[in-house]
Amino acid sequence: MLRRLRTGLRPLHSGSRPNYQARVCVIGSPFNLLLFHSGSGSESGCSTPLLPPPLSQTQSPLSNLDHGRRRRRLHFPYHFLSTLPANSNNPAMNGDASHSKKKPKLSPPEISSEFSHHDPAVARINNGSFGCCPRSVTAAQRDWQHQFLRQPDNFFLNLLQPAISRSRSLVASLVNAPHVDQISLVDNATTAAAIFLQHCAWSFAEGRFSPGDAAVMLHYAYGAVKKSVEAYITRAGGHVIEVDLPFPVKSEDEIITEFRKALAKGKSEGRKVRIAVIDHVTSMPAVVIPVKELVKICREEGVEQVFVDAAHGIGCVDVDVQEIGADFYTSNLHKWFFCPPSVAFLYCRNQSNAGGDTQLQLHHPVVSHEYGNGLPVESGWIGTRDYSAQLVVPSAAEFVERFPGGIDGIKAANHSAVVEMGEMLAKAWGTNLGSPPEMCGSMIMVGLPACLGIGSESDSLKLRTHLRDCFAVEVPIYFNKRRHDHRGEEAGGGVITGYVRISYQVYNKVEDYERLRDAVHKLVNDGFTCGSLVEPESD
Amino acid sequence: METVEDHGNGELNHLTKKPRLTRFITESAIADEFAHHQPGVARINNGSFGSCPGSVLSSQREWQLKFLRQPDDFYFNGLRKGILRSRTLVKDLVGADDVEEVSLIDNATTGAAIVLQQIGRAFAEGRFDRNDAVLMFHCAFQAVKKSMEAYVRRAGGSVIEVRLPFPIRCDEEIITEFRKGLEKAKSNGRKVRLAIIDHITSMPSVVTPVKELVRICREEGVDQVFVDAAHAIGSVEVNVQEIGADFYVSNLHKWFFCPPSVAFLYCKKSGSSLDAHHPVVSHEYGNGLPTESSWIGTRDYSSQLAVPTAFEFVNSFEGGIRGIMKRNHDEVVKMGEMLAESWGTNLGAPPEMCASMVMVGLPSRLYVTSDDDALRLRSHLRAYYGVEVPIHYQGPRDGEDGVKDEYGIVTAYVRISHQVYNTLDDYCKLRDAINQIVDNKKTCKTLLIE
Repeated sequence: MLRRLRTGLRPLHSGSRPNYQARVCVIGSPFNLLLFHSGSGSESGCSTPLLPPPLSQTQSPLSNLDHGRRRRRLHFPYHFLSTLPANSNNPAMNGDASHSKKKPKLSPPEISSEFSHHDPAVARINNGSFGCCPRSVTAAQRDWQHQFLRQPDNFFLNLLQPAISRSRSLVASLVNAPHVDQISLVDNATTAAAIFLQHCAWSFAEGRFSPGDAAVMLHYAYGAVKKSVEAYITRAGGHVIEVDLPFPVKSEDEIITEFRKALAKGKSEGRKVRIAVIDHVTSMPAVVIPVKELVKICREEGVEQVFVDAAHGIGCVDVDVQEIGADFYTSNLHKWFFCPPSVAFLYCRNQSNAGGDTQLQLHHPVVSHEYGNGLPVESGWIGTRDYSAQLVVPSAAEFVERFPGGIDGIKAANHSAVVEMGEMLAKAWGTNLGSPPEMCGSMIMVGLPACLGIGSESDSLKLRTHLRDCFAVEVPIYFNKRRHDHRGEEAGGGVITGYVRISYQVYNKVEDYERLRDAVHKLVNDGFTCGSLVEPESD
Repeated sequence: METVEDHGNGELNHLTKKPRLTRFITESAIADEFAHHQPGVARINNGSFGSCPGSVLSSQREWQLKFLRQPDDFYFNGLRKGILRSRTLVKDLVGADDVEEVSLIDNATTGAAIVLQQIGRAFAEGRFDRNDAVLMFHCAFQAVKKSMEAYVRRAGGSVIEVRLPFPIRCDEEIITEFRKGLEKAKSNGRKVRLAIIDHITSMPSVVTPVKELVRICREEGVDQVFVDAAHAIGSVEVNVQEIGADFYVSNLHKWFFCPPSVAFLYCKKSGSSLDAHHPVVSHEYGNGLPTESSWIGTRDYSSQLAVPTAFEFVNSFEGGIRGIMKRNHDEVVKMGEMLAESWGTNLGAPPEMCASMVMVGLPSRLYVTSDDDALRLRSHLRAYYGVEVPIHYQGPRDGEDGVKDEYGIVTAYVRISHQVYNTLDDYCKLRDAINQIVDNKKTCKTLLIE
């Protein structure tokens, strides 16, 4: 809908952006500016709306400031757009990658270019810890940041919430959540855990749970989550039961057996098991847990609420929240879904929105204006901050679509590559894998030669630092305290106590793993032991 | 104030004041630094979202790239050092005793959640009695009010509101109301567990006599005092020891040129601060709030790390932050008086109760009769005049005549701000816009907002 203003229209003066032609549509009021990119030859008024083109393609006003060479000379008359038209063609606007003109698949050099900001000297085989983000997505993120900085009031009032909604819708479709109201965006899985566990603490305080009621979690639960359980459950009077997991692990049955044992323990102590916190993919050691099966067991045994911590889930394993059947499911999007740091989603099966009982709802712990309007809306405004990582989920989805098979294709390729590399390393070192391939996603645990003498967590950290500093290899190392049934014996005798957790992501190359292989060979040949390393200087 | 220089190797060199041989930042350099602001917009709402110069944004981008380049190395070798450096600069700026009293968090809203969550825990764990009271101003920031609901009321505490008189003539009016509120809170033998005092209220915006109010709290046996100073740093002098509160939070992205977003929470070393935890619990739980806050999971900490560059920016102005504060204050008062004269209205508070923001009465003929009207007028100013300014609706109180202009009761105020990027033209645009609306005999309800 075009409406001309009394002030009249002047075309946008695009003098300082030589690669960029802008046409202006007037929709609604001026001053809530969005630039429109006309593409080729569309003179008919409303062109395809986009955010300002990526800064890499144009001269960014900020890069102008960097060099102090020239100022932006765009003149903005009083007739710019407020909100975006409803049927935007751009995936960044409507969150649905399939409606966009499909971009061609990425060639290997293009993939390298997308990750050219990675330190080229480093064999980066730890995608699990901090993830990765391609240039095209960071560029989109910068565009959003720029939108805020140029006119934050307009951004807050007109742009932010629709963009968050688009990201949420996209996530809902990715994980097969039936309704977008079930999806909230938060910073990371750690935050999602805090949200859920604070809710449990209130349940204790408000008498819905009784002192001594139990929470079950895996022994290999992430350290931050364990602390959160301590802070919110133990402190509120709950009792924590840890599921003892074997490692190395041979089959899913071992995990299922231990899980049943833990539930039975709770029962035998006369405790009601109120909640279960289950990892979809444990962090250290990394193992894919039969989470669907465990959720089923929880239902059978009357566990009220099941929270699946799938920090590594989306982009690493298959995620279908309905099939998995948990009450809550969280996954980071910056680990394996190419979003910038940081954004995660929290799926809540039964949460109502505004109007529901505040006490029964989950709440974001940083309470702001939207308190009581449902977690998704609460999470959409927790005070002034940079929400841009949440806004580029559509751009990440678009990136993913440039690979054959999209996210499923990437997952499959990562999985088979990491298994192949893992087997290559295990063979070269005469060690073993920590779990069978079917219990791995895009990461795998490979035993390190026993002669390296990894005797403690401190040793594993020292060795990791040594590999980084002296071999430019970035890989996390797990110290396996548990010696269970003499598993993990090296081919030549000696118990394997340390495992590398290697990952495979689209930017990796065989050379990365060969470098790790050769580094460890050298250490072994040099008679290296962890005991010979000094304590690294702490930060 | 000492100038602090970083020689790029992570060390701090404190230099005492020397005569500067280099010139101060020029007008055109300032304009360059804010060239990313939308041109054509009279941006006189620095109070809501703040502003950040290009040089600080560049520094922030460098930190972001560093993380993306090799995140593990960044995490193990760069992050904590960088945050400690930022915290140390803040500690010196606000006169805190010990850097362990200074945590960096996202924003004042997060600070409120931290303080109120520990209050809520005390109620839930029976250390406070049901109906023990928490005191706050009636015009406390909406997010803080909701936080009270979420953590205090929910846990059984009672909330007492202190009315902030507005328009206001002097500190005494606030002190009187505050004492009344305290008395009410203490009635029926209740213990007052917490008082939340705004250093500078948001809407309407007034600088409160916070030192005096904290003193009164101590006299009256209030357990804990939390000063919500979201607007304070970079617009008024801040000395946390002199103010004497248990908790003091201020945003660095509002008036101290940091990117969105970063705030500091000062916690006086004492019993209550030991139970303050970041609600997003991670590996560092139990290691003190500053350390807990420095790692709350993988996220972008770059705005916290860019704080030293904001100090550099501030120090490129004559008089540093004090110079900026003084000039902002003088200008905003001048502009406020200019507008009041043109519109035939009043200022909402005397200049000594203003910092870098001033409330200016809007002509009664606009007939602002509700919050919705105020929002409508604000949207109209943005859409049709390119003016961004927040508007406060001040309904008449029973039994009071209210402030009048020639034609009726003044029921609304603009909250104008002045920051280093503002020019006279910004305020002239606002002045003329309002005059034109009035001359066209438009009232709020008839204004177009699209």
